[in-house]
Amino acid sequence: MDRIARHPVLNTNQERKSVNFYFNGESVQGFENEPVSSALIANGVKEFSIHHIGDAPQGIFCANGQCSHCTLVINGKPLKSCITTLKEGMEVRTLVHLPELPEDDRNVEHFEVKNLKCDVLVIGAGPSGLTAAIELAKLNFDIILIDDKDKLGGKLLLQTHKFFGSIEDCYAGKRGIEIADLLEKEIRSYKNVKIYTNTSVVALYKDKKAGLFIDYKNYALVGFDGLVISSGAREKNLVFPGNDIPGVYGAGAFQTLVNRDLVKSSNRIFIIGSGNVGLIAAYHALQAGITVVGIADILDNVSGYKVHSDKIKRMGVPVYLKHTVLTAEGNGQVERITIAEVDEKFNPLLEKAKTFEVDTLLIAVGLSSIDEFYNTALKFGYKAVKSGDADEIAEASSAMFGGRISGLQLAKMLGKDVAVDESWFKKAEVLKSRPGKTHSEPVTELNENYTPIMHCYQEIPCNPCISVCPSGAIKLNDALGSIMDLPLYTGEDCTRCGQCIAVCPGLAISVAKKLYGEWAEVVLPHEFIPAFHENEFVSLTDTDGNYLEKGEVMKIQFNKKYKTHLITFKVSLGNAIKIAGIRVQDEDKIKPLPKPVFNYIPDNAVLCRCERVSVGEIIKFIKDNDIKDANQLKQIRVGMGACGSRTCSILLPGIFSAAGVNWFEVAENTKRPLSVEIPMGAIINEDSEESV
Amino acid sequence: MRKFDVLIIGAGSIGVPAAYYLAKKGLSVGVIEKLPSEGRGQNRAAIGGIRATHSDPAKIKICQLTIGLMNSFEKEHDIDIDWISGGYLFPVYDEVLENKLKKLLVTQKKFNLNIDWIDAGKVKELVPGINPENLRGGTFSPEDGSASPLKMTGAYLKLAKEQKAEFFFNEEVKGFRIENNKIIEVETNKDKYSADIIINAAGGDAKEIGLLSNLDIPVNPDCHEAGITEPVKPFFKPMVVDIRSDENSANYYFYQNKEGQVVFCITPKPSILGKDTDNTSVFLPLVVKRILNLYPRLRNLRIRRTWRGLYPMTPDGFPIVGWTKEVSNMFLAVGMCGQGFMLGPGLGQIISEIIVDKSDKYNFILDQLTLYREFAGIELLK
Repeated sequence: MDRIARHPVLNTNQERKSVNFYFNGESVQGFENEPVSSALIANGVKEFSIHHIGDAPQGIFCANGQCSHCTLVINGKPLKSCITTLKEGMEVRTLVHLPELPEDDRNVEHFEVKNLKCDVLVIGAGPSGLTAAIELAKLNFDIILIDDKDKLGGKLLLQTHKFFGSIEDCYAGKRGIEIADLLEKEIRSYKNVKIYTNTSVVALYKDKKAGLFIDYKNYALVGFDGLVISSGAREKNLVFPGNDIPGVYGAGAFQTLVNRDLVKSSNRIFIIGSGNVGLIAAYHALQAGITVVGIADILDNVSGYKVHSDKIKRMGVPVYLKHTVLTAEGNGQVERITIAEVDEKFNPLLEKAKTFEVDTLLIAVGLSSIDEFYNTALKFGYKAVKSGDADEIAEASSAMFGGRISGLQLAKMLGKDVAVDESWFKKAEVLKSRPGKTHSEPVTELNENYTPIMHCYQEIPCNPCISVCPSGAIKLNDALGSIMDLPLYTGEDCTRCGQCIAVCPGLAISVAKKLYGEWAEVVLPHEFIPAFHENEFVSLTDTDGNYLEKGEVMKIQFNKKYKTHLITFKVSLGNAIKIAGIRVQDEDKIKPLPKPVFNYIPDNAVLCRCERVSVGEIIKFIKDNDIKDANQLKQIRVGMGACGSRTCSILLPGIFSAAGVNWFEVAENTKRPLSVEIPMGAIINEDSEESV
Repeated sequence: MRKFDVLIIGAGSIGVPAAYYLAKKGLSVGVIEKLPSEGRGQNRAAIGGIRATHSDPAKIKICQLTIGLMNSFEKEHDIDIDWISGGYLFPVYDEVLENKLKKLLVTQKKFNLNIDWIDAGKVKELVPGINPENLRGGTFSPEDGSASPLKMTGAYLKLAKEQKAEFFFNEEVKGFRIENNKIIEVETNKDKYSADIIINAAGGDAKEIGLLSNLDIPVNPDCHEAGITEPVKPFFKPMVVDIRSDENSANYYFYQNKEGQVVFCITPKPSILGKDTDNTSVFLPLVVKRILNLYPRLRNLRIRRTWRGLYPMTPDGFPIVGWTKEVSNMFLAVGMCGQGFMLGPGLGQIISEIIVDKSDKYNFILDQLTLYREFAGIELLK
């Protein structure tokens, strides 16, 4: 089984019970209660089903319960394997074409409509849902908090990296997984909060009730006075030939497999998209021992924080700007991908194509808010707030702060005499800021005293370094008057305590001093299990990842609080102030093939994954029938699948435009309930223990 | 001002096929639709059943025509509309209903309908796994079936456009100019039109369109909720109609479409009046309880989507079709009582023959479905 055996941050020694199960009749092993999908991927399975259209192999896509690409036949029933937990002896089979309905003809013995009631229903226990629920719980509201995963925390559970932001407002410097623990402890301490995990909203109804699919077994109607919609976001898909083959999936799905389920899902990945999600996915991959062959972005600059991308580049991951993905190809699964440079109009230049051998292509081209519940709530006139990514895509640090505000706002709507401090709104705005100006890297003079060097000169909302410096010598430069300002070292007596090095989420602080002669000492952060010993020579780079020299390891220390190694190097004095990071990935492992190998037929890209409708078919249908209403595409099944066009509708404007139709003249497709599929037997709680 | 031979108000179940058959006979046809595309009103909400096995001569005739058209549709036009001739099955679990349906069979057979009583064994063959307890048999009409409203109406739109019918979407009729009992101008929010004949095929809005010409058409929508499941391999063929009632609902029905998805719908009791089509929490437990009692095998089938649609009802449950006395060039094709989809193609063809060929062979339909009837009867098989 391909599991992550060693990890610099995650605990890989968790007590997990091994179980036997069967995949297509063969006995295989997994861990009890992990998602069936993860157990299969750990066993090297990439093909989950064969689509009835075109016999196309299908792999995992969202790993998040949103799409249905991981559907398998489990104990005779078609089920989404990413939300089905593994049990001893399970019979799992590849789904070939349409499933057969089991001939279960027992009479229905039990019928029950379950009804629940609360003051506030909180949909989604991610960073913003948890903080909103905490604020409301403090004000004595009876709360039902639901989440579609088995643990609270949402995407925090996938975040092994330290958070940006500020310590006082959003736990900056702590890792997402640690923050999830803290928030879970707090929310569970309130007796007026009832928590349902593994629970999805099936629909919001006109009669002020929500239908819940509880534990993916039972159905309950819950009445409420107010709603917090903190349902997060879904990953945007991208249209290119081969986008549907197993091994192409979202960066979020990858983080779920690797960081939550400790599955080594891949050996070599490529990432499309240089936003924070793509950058972090690269970092998570490296920590899991997976080679990151490259990151490509169609824009001419990195979309995420500069400190993030610098960090990734220092580790040895190339970032290909002004590049797009042409194809993903392979026999039934990804074996190679091809990228190409684009011209000013973003058209790919095929003569500038590069092919890389990888087994996985991650799509990290942004997120879109899951805001349909909020829109429905507004339509029905409910008292409702949305927060976190469901409101606006931003960092989790901002979501946590925004959640508190949303909670209080809802309390006010529900008649509580509360007010949100004006300063909170300003802080919230700052926390969700896009990166600001990039300044030039300042030059630091070295002397015999230790001096922290900030390789951080793009304005981002982050300041834990100033909070942890025991002598208060690190300050913000006060140009903007917010935490967007750049940090400066203003002292003279740095003790090399290492706090600032260890806390920095960008791993962007080094501490250096002059030694003797032409030598200097540099202390660098390292969030890997060191692959070197003292006195060994290790490749070191400047801020942007350019190789400078091999430095001699003098000391390896570990900061337990921040789970970060501090490595002291002896380096040449001339490079000392420039040295910012340790290369962890070999350059020759990430080179493209000598010549590009690809077959580029853009029309073959799949737009509607559920029903396998290609871009070419859709464009032809739009042109042939003068389509001006996206609903008409349902005639060729676009949007008729399990996801209800939630994955592909965001791509439609581009398709209409490619067909020569102005999107603004097109009626948008109607999104109907249900938001998740639910078996008929669950609706009537047939298997519920309780009596009618 | 645009001029047409015929102007149809409403591009739905009735308006789109009618436009095709009229245009095919050489008339210039314009269709005004307030929604952005064809069938976006109640046509889209129809679950797709098509049967000729009604209890009255007019609907039987119209739907026999529809079924004939469906049988040859793909061959004639090379467009797949998911037509399945899977039959309609009314399973029976009690003597009272058995007697009632058997009595109705006599009438139905008089109209040459292919329908008969089948025993419990045959019912179980048609619907493997159906609850066998007290199952007495049922009536089965093998020539009835189902098609996709989405695809069929899309196909008729394409055909009508090929015959040069013109469609004006996102356009709403605001008023009529009437002189000497004749509409001489139709005004919309965007343009003005004139036509020799105006057809009101406005479905759920038929009454409002009527009122614009001071005509009170007794069409009042009520509302039914429907749902569709994930697709699975085909396992039963007919449309199953359970016409029993319980305390909260009247009949319900379901079938497996060509994609393999089971489509289902229930008639709430009492009726929910009005045009609200927002989904309610009542529907799923109500319909699922009844379906699973009849057909427990569906327990593992996952419901994918639900929606609500309107049944534009008339007081007696029969459509209103024909000319009006008050406005000489107004033809009504309204009040389809939830059966517009199955009536549409046949009715479209009939309308074209009445208007273009001045045919009198459908006078019995016009007599039965006239606006000026008593509205005293009751449709047995709503």
